[in-house]
Amino acid sequence: MVTLDVIAAATVEHLVLVYTTLFLSIAIAIPLAFASLYSERLAFVIMRFANLAQAVPSFAVVAIVVPLIGIGFTPAVIAIMLRALLPIVKNTYIGLSSIDPQLIDYAKGIGLTDWQINRHIRLPNAYPPMFAGIKFAAILANSIAVLTAIIGSGGLGELVFEGLISFSTERLLAGALPAIGLALFLDMSFTALEKRLTSGQPR
Amino acid sequence: MVAILYNIMDVWDTHLLTLRTFEHLYMFSIALFIATIIGISLGIFIYSRPGLANPVLNILNIVETIPDIALLVLLLPFFGLGAGPTIVASILYSILPIARNTYTGLKDVDHEYIYIAEGIGLSPKEILYRVRIPMSLPLIAGGVRIALVFTMGVVTLGGLIAAGGLGTALQTGIYLYEIDTILVAGIWTGILAVILDGFAGIAEKKITARFGSW
Amino acid sequence: MKTTQTQRLFDRIESIRLANVTKKYDDRFAVDDLNLEIKGGELLILIGQSGSGKTTTLRMINRLIELDEGHITINGQDIMGFDPVKLRRNIGYVIQNIGLFPHMDIHDNIGLVPKLEGWSEGEISGRVEHLLDFVALPHETFINRYPRQLSGGQQQRVGLARALAMDPPLLLMDEPFGALDPLLRRQLQDEFVRIKHEIGRTIVFVTHDIDEAFKLGDRIGIMDGGKLVQVGTPEELILAPENELVASIVDADKKFKHMDTLRVKDMLSHLDDKYIFESGMGVDQALDRMAVNNVEIGIVCDGSGLAGQVEMADLLRSRDEGKTLEDIAESSIVFSPHDSVAMALGELKDRGRSVAIVMENERPFGLFFSDEVLLKLI
Repeated sequence: MVTLDVIAAATVEHLVLVYTTLFLSIAIAIPLAFASLYSERLAFVIMRFANLAQAVPSFAVVAIVVPLIGIGFTPAVIAIMLRALLPIVKNTYIGLSSIDPQLIDYAKGIGLTDWQINRHIRLPNAYPPMFAGIKFAAILANSIAVLTAIIGSGGLGELVFEGLISFSTERLLAGALPAIGLALFLDMSFTALEKRLTSGQPR
Repeated sequence: MVAILYNIMDVWDTHLLTLRTFEHLYMFSIALFIATIIGISLGIFIYSRPGLANPVLNILNIVETIPDIALLVLLLPFFGLGAGPTIVASILYSILPIARNTYTGLKDVDHEYIYIAEGIGLSPKEILYRVRIPMSLPLIAGGVRIALVFTMGVVTLGGLIAAGGLGTALQTGIYLYEIDTILVAGIWTGILAVILDGFAGIAEKKITARFGSW
Repeated sequence: MKTTQTQRLFDRIESIRLANVTKKYDDRFAVDDLNLEIKGGELLILIGQSGSGKTTTLRMINRLIELDEGHITINGQDIMGFDPVKLRRNIGYVIQNIGLFPHMDIHDNIGLVPKLEGWSEGEISGRVEHLLDFVALPHETFINRYPRQLSGGQQQRVGLARALAMDPPLLLMDEPFGALDPLLRRQLQDEFVRIKHEIGRTIVFVTHDIDEAFKLGDRIGIMDGGKLVQVGTPEELILAPENELVASIVDADKKFKHMDTLRVKDMLSHLDDKYIFESGMGVDQALDRMAVNNVEIGIVCDGSGLAGQVEMADLLRSRDEGKTLEDIAESSIVFSPHDSVAMALGELKDRGRSVAIVMENERPFGLFFSDEVLLKLI
């Protein structure tokens, strides 16, 4: 018998894991994307690495973290970030760099500083791809967070793995269904957020 | 150096990694093959019935957000443990990128080509098969490449539900906390995925060079 | 795929009649109550500004646009009675942007409709080779190339060959030379005048260039605001313009009335550097350069000055033989900028040529086209 308490506790654990990872990823990704604007080499390395890392199966990433940092919450966060960070960096960088050079020249011409150009011209231009990247990362994080239960992160995945070992359909579903619910919730909430923040933005 | 190599070979033999690799590629090929056929057919179908395009793509989008393990779990009651649900889940994930790219490709062929095709007397069906589909191949190839990555990911998870493949070795390594096993199986899985993606990238470039507009 | 042999709807065109043809977009008339008879075998030009309805009229003939009111008949048969696909396979169609399919080589582009019609591979190849040679593209060189490997002028020729694939008795051409640079356009127009007589087809041709209209057209229809203002031979339009608009269109370039006082320098065409080739350059290299710059004629110079001229077609015939331009350049007719136009025209006529090079200080300075000068003098 899986009580509602257990499911609720697992869901909270799961959410903490997802949002911690997402928050850290965004906090690291955006400075990294700006840094890439000033270093072609960094941009090249990041784009290359982002495309390569995208191809590696999540399970392999989660597994390789174990010999490197062990098991538990922190290794799980790092494993998820290895997959979720790069889509945000990549999309933000594309948004920042894909701006019409004439517009930048014009902005310089009317006397905007570098910082003002970044803040008022490049960043708003990057919003749509950036939020698309964040949404993608959120859904990816939710998905991998189920898997990281195998390396001791806790959360909804733990119920799933217990269910697999004990052949308990009840436990399997007690883990899987809330995870699906969270996926839909993340998708919808980030879509709504994206719409609100980028309304009036060119696509 | 020699010791490391010896360790790797030891892990490789103990965990039957040659067999696991074949199992892995077997599930992968079947899933990707079926997903490609379904995806392209579905893409053509929703192109020919534009009213269905958005509903179908929205449903597939929802499937896409479901965590992969949760999807595997949902399929267990219908397909039991093993390769069956793994292949089905891979297909479900892979249909979207292929169908969506096929649909977008067919729809977005430069209007000028359609116009001249009509002008020289091609029927709608001939325009679809002689112009729209060939000119969409670069985009379709891009969709298949995305599907390939999805499929590799799900097939690896199959190890958790007794499907065999490289995920089995990863699972054993984690449960028994065998560092060597995790490293060898994990790195090999990553390399295999990157190599296949690399080949797909080359194929995509070739197809784009051959069929793309300029 | 099922292939059905399309029957020929008409072997030759007796006449095409547009009666009270009207096409509306919302409340705006694209074509307004247009009446026109096109005679079998003639080349009829429709000329007008963009938005005048000329292209809409053309497209209604092969039913790419369906008319709202009125009738279009070919040899007395209403085109609405034909299946549009069958109708279009009986009508050749060439457009400005050519629209060669990038995923097919030249053979497949030209042979597409014959293939859909169920021709055998041998028949298709024979037809494609014949057509390529006909449009001055040696088939050995071009048949297996892809469109992206061709220059703009070569693509346009393939576009014409494709339109002729099914040997259609009627050809619709929508500004076919509009996207080409002026010199190349003139060269293709010259060639087109030549093949127009060889193919002997009825042609409806849309342009906005009055020089092109005078050069190619048997009759010219002037359109404005969806209406056909006047239709007639060039002489009729010049001598008896129906209204101010027609007079201004046909009159625009006739500023020069006193030929005796004109000098060659008043009438020459500017010569861009891209037309100038060193005599030591290899034939293959020259071909590459022509393709890059989209030109088909070259003025050959050596250290001491002019060495002659070469045309792309001649170069193609001598490729891979290790020759240089010096070996194959033809001598040119040369004028000084101060020669009189009357003398220059006379000499070109005597020697049966249509273009001469204008030299100043031992360097090529411009080109002198007899037909263009004549047009300006009408």
